[in-house]
Amino acid sequence: MTLRKDRRDFLLKVGTGAGMAALAAQATASLRSLVPNVSYDAPTTVKIGQPTDFPDGLKFLPDERLFVFREGLTFHAISAVCTHLGCTVRAEALSQVETAMVEGAPLRLTHRFMCPCHGSRYSGDGGNQSGPAPRPLAWYHLSIAPDDGQLVVDLAREVSRDFRLTVA
Amino acid sequence: MRKQGDAHGALTPPSEAPGVHPKPLWSFRPDSDRASGDAVVSNFLLHWFPAKALKASLDWNYSLWLGTVSAALLLLLVLSGMPLLFLYVPSVERAYATVKDIEYVVTFGSWIRSVHRIAAHLMVAAVALHLARVFFTGAYKNGVGQGQRREWNWVLGVGMLLATLFLSFTGYLLPWDQLAYWAVTVGTNIASSIPWIGPAIRELLLGGRVIEQPTLIRFYVLHILALPGLLGILFVYHMWRIRKDGGLARADREALLAEKAATPPAATKTYTLLGIARGTAPTIRASSLARPDASVNAVPDLTRRAAIVCLGTIAVLSILAVFIRSPLEEPANALVTPNPAKAPWYFLWLQEIVTDTTVHIGAFTINGAFLGGVILPGLLIALLTVWPWLDRSPAGVAGVWFARDRRTQNLAFILLALGVIALTLVGTFCRGPYWHFYWPWETWPEIPARI
Repeated sequence: MTLRKDRRDFLLKVGTGAGMAALAAQATASLRSLVPNVSYDAPTTVKIGQPTDFPDGLKFLPDERLFVFREGLTFHAISAVCTHLGCTVRAEALSQVETAMVEGAPLRLTHRFMCPCHGSRYSGDGGNQSGPAPRPLAWYHLSIAPDDGQLVVDLAREVSRDFRLTVA
Repeated sequence: MRKQGDAHGALTPPSEAPGVHPKPLWSFRPDSDRASGDAVVSNFLLHWFPAKALKASLDWNYSLWLGTVSAALLLLLVLSGMPLLFLYVPSVERAYATVKDIEYVVTFGSWIRSVHRIAAHLMVAAVALHLARVFFTGAYKNGVGQGQRREWNWVLGVGMLLATLFLSFTGYLLPWDQLAYWAVTVGTNIASSIPWIGPAIRELLLGGRVIEQPTLIRFYVLHILALPGLLGILFVYHMWRIRKDGGLARADREALLAEKAATPPAATKTYTLLGIARGTAPTIRASSLARPDASVNAVPDLTRRAAIVCLGTIAVLSILAVFIRSPLEEPANALVTPNPAKAPWYFLWLQEIVTDTTVHIGAFTINGAFLGGVILPGLLIALLTVWPWLDRSPAGVAGVWFARDRRTQNLAFILLALGVIALTLVGTFCRGPYWHFYWPWETWPEIPARI
């Protein structure tokens, strides 16, 4: 008698377990299908134009959400994406241009940046000054395209704030 | 007056035996207790009602009927959502144009959209006020009934409040205008600020790393299928629990009071002869719930009031929707963030909090997005959820507005609510370009639209 009851118990547990496992596998398959395997996002390495097309000072590139600064023959690029919650910050020209040492390299500060969503403020080098922004704005790597000499920004490659690209 | 039904006669035909309902229809103007009971039992829509309802529970100024108002608004949202399903196309190229067509081209489209939008706004308010009413009356407390689990119905209610808020959020994303685009940006970045798992959650919500077509279709399916389904299940469970818990908390209070008041012995019975008692007759304790003057038939008394509330809500909303047009901002533009970019009123207190909670401790920084967008709201919801278990006041105060025994709790709730209201008001009236503080009477400076 006990043997028979054990067998029924065992079969019941096996059946229930198999049912649960099947449900879990189907749920996993359904949920996994929602995680994309291919990204159709825009490429992170973008040609942004000939160096000569950039004016001295600041140019905003809305598609890349990027500020490109030119100082004679040197260039650097600062992200316009607020580090707090991702709104696009706006640049405001300073009344007085000043030069400061940023990470050991001199930098001409012509603008400051302000976020319309939650009021974060950044200095001209992208440093977070006030408001809820937790980090400075990102600086991105610039290079020259070997084929046509355009400026190329790598939006996946953050650089330190002493980065400059000098065009010969 | 009503005459007693004659269905209880000795020669009852089988079809009229108790529990058998031969008539396919029922009457909302029953002429007997039996007929009014039948109206509940044989009616699909009324099957969650009791046959008898306590007069005190039907009081306008006890429950304020806020739950019924919320349910009526939900009904309106489902009904007005149906035509919108046919008119709206969830594609980033066409969503804005279809909403614009609904607003300007489709006959009565603007009215339907306004009904949907105003009902959504009012539902957030009605559900929040309903929660406040339940708190102030201590209606999540168990009384004298058996098997009561009112605290769980409170938890269901908190879940329904969250479902309502997520439905509103996913709803105002669908027009794919500036409000929508930047709300998705901020909302998903709040999720992204959670340490370690945040970025993965954001990617799952967006269906990628940027806000594009996969994002819109995800929020669309959440809005029209997943969240309404969840809310529907919670709603049905919520109503069922009210029945299982013996009705509104006020019913328990009436029962408790009845036990204190002794009912005089019936004149027809003599106890002294049996030797049970001598001299004075024993008193009999009877529940007031059984007293005929304390309760009424659910049909028509409860149904009449429910109908007044539902039809009143529908009437007010239909008229409001004629006069209040629904706004539509500029098409979604990833290149320009509006200045200031404000959330709808019910999320402005959160926008204030994420603004004010970035904490710098030396070189260590806690992002306000995480502290104010995840931790603080999470704590608030957790506190709301467990409150019935923290409440140690006696069962007798269940169903009493501002009971003396719950004064401290009510005060704490009022202070928290005032804090949320104050932040909402600051966000609404005192925030200008760059989220700077301006008094309402101050004019905002001119800011160029583009740099």
